[in-house]
Amino acid sequence: MSRSMDRLFRARPDTADAIDRDALFAQIVATPQDHEQPQINRSGRRRLLIGCIALAVLCLTAGTAFAVTGFNLFGWHTDTTIVNSPREWQRLYRDATRRLTLPPGEHWPDRTLPPDTVTSRTQPGGTAVAISQTAWECYWVAAIRSGNTAAAGQAHVALDDLLAHHVVVAPPGSPENVAPPAGTKPPFAIFASDGGIQYTRKMYRDAAHGHPATLIQSCRANGPVGTR
Amino acid sequence: MIDTRTQAEIAEARFAEVFQNLGSLVRYAAARGSRDPEGIAAEVMTIAWRRLPSLPADDPRPWLFVTARNLLMAERRRTGRQAPFDERHAEAPAPEAESGDPAVTAALMELRPADRDALLLVSWDDLTPAQAARVAGISPVAFRVRLYRARRRFEQALSAQQGGINGSPTVGMEST
Repeated sequence: MSRSMDRLFRARPDTADAIDRDALFAQIVATPQDHEQPQINRSGRRRLLIGCIALAVLCLTAGTAFAVTGFNLFGWHTDTTIVNSPREWQRLYRDATRRLTLPPGEHWPDRTLPPDTVTSRTQPGGTAVAISQTAWECYWVAAIRSGNTAAAGQAHVALDDLLAHHVVVAPPGSPENVAPPAGTKPPFAIFASDGGIQYTRKMYRDAAHGHPATLIQSCRANGPVGTR
Repeated sequence: MIDTRTQAEIAEARFAEVFQNLGSLVRYAAARGSRDPEGIAAEVMTIAWRRLPSLPADDPRPWLFVTARNLLMAERRRTGRQAPFDERHAEAPAPEAESGDPAVTAALMELRPADRDALLLVSWDDLTPAQAARVAGISPVAFRVRLYRARRRFEQALSAQQGGINGSPTVGMEST
């Protein structure tokens, strides 16, 4: 080992923590475990992947009916750049995951672009936003079920933040390859102007006021098998 | 009929092994500038207990550190603290702890966040390169390359610090 590295080792901060370990251990093991939340298994991941791909395809194709030539409204425009390389797709996805959060204990799943596929440059980020949103929703549901108000509050804050900073609503009549005005900071998911964002906001408001039925449905519909 | 007491004992025994990492997590959180490192470590352990069946059976340490990192980033976001580096490289909260060796601290802060994190994961957090690669979310090969470069840059930065900080008790050892 070089002297520099040895010096780095010796410079490690001495953090004598003030935790009563025995008390903490006893306190933790006295709480219930999440028997209803096993690790997301491979089939669950596969289903989530299929769900995300289906969502992406739906978003791309649904706009076809509203395609408008020369579309430009408040800076929204058609995006002619595409991604057809899994490597490029994964880079955009990784960049997106570094700007988003997941609930404690969650990991970003591996994602890639299926072979012989093209998509827009905003799609990897949109996928990451959808994963973060679903993960926080299911975390919120689990927190409600276990009576963990702190975790529920954390999830609510995270989801409000996600809607505020990582979701944009395309103008009515947007084409399928719509892109927001230049300067919109990625990652973001593009919602159609069909009331979806208002529905989502109401779902979170209702859950925060003790009416989580729609939130539970959303988690059940979109979440991995083990988190429903 | 299932003997739930036996199951509980088995779970507690396994968690006791996981719990031995508490001190490492406190140090990890403190070195990354957490305002409540003990709280972060306790929260990680609480989550680990809650999700014990889903913890990697062979080696839970990367899982624990990734969870700690997520909590640190959530804490940072909650408290509205501006990350002291470009978000494009926000792979982990930056270390802010005083190392007790000003030259080392200064040299560390000159590194890119990803390099700094790689270096600290193996030197301060006692992770093997393979474990640290899982925490960093990259392949072991890519991590070893990053670690090699980080070490080289750290050594260069530390050398540059030699004349800058007088009075450090170990400065003389590094002089060439």
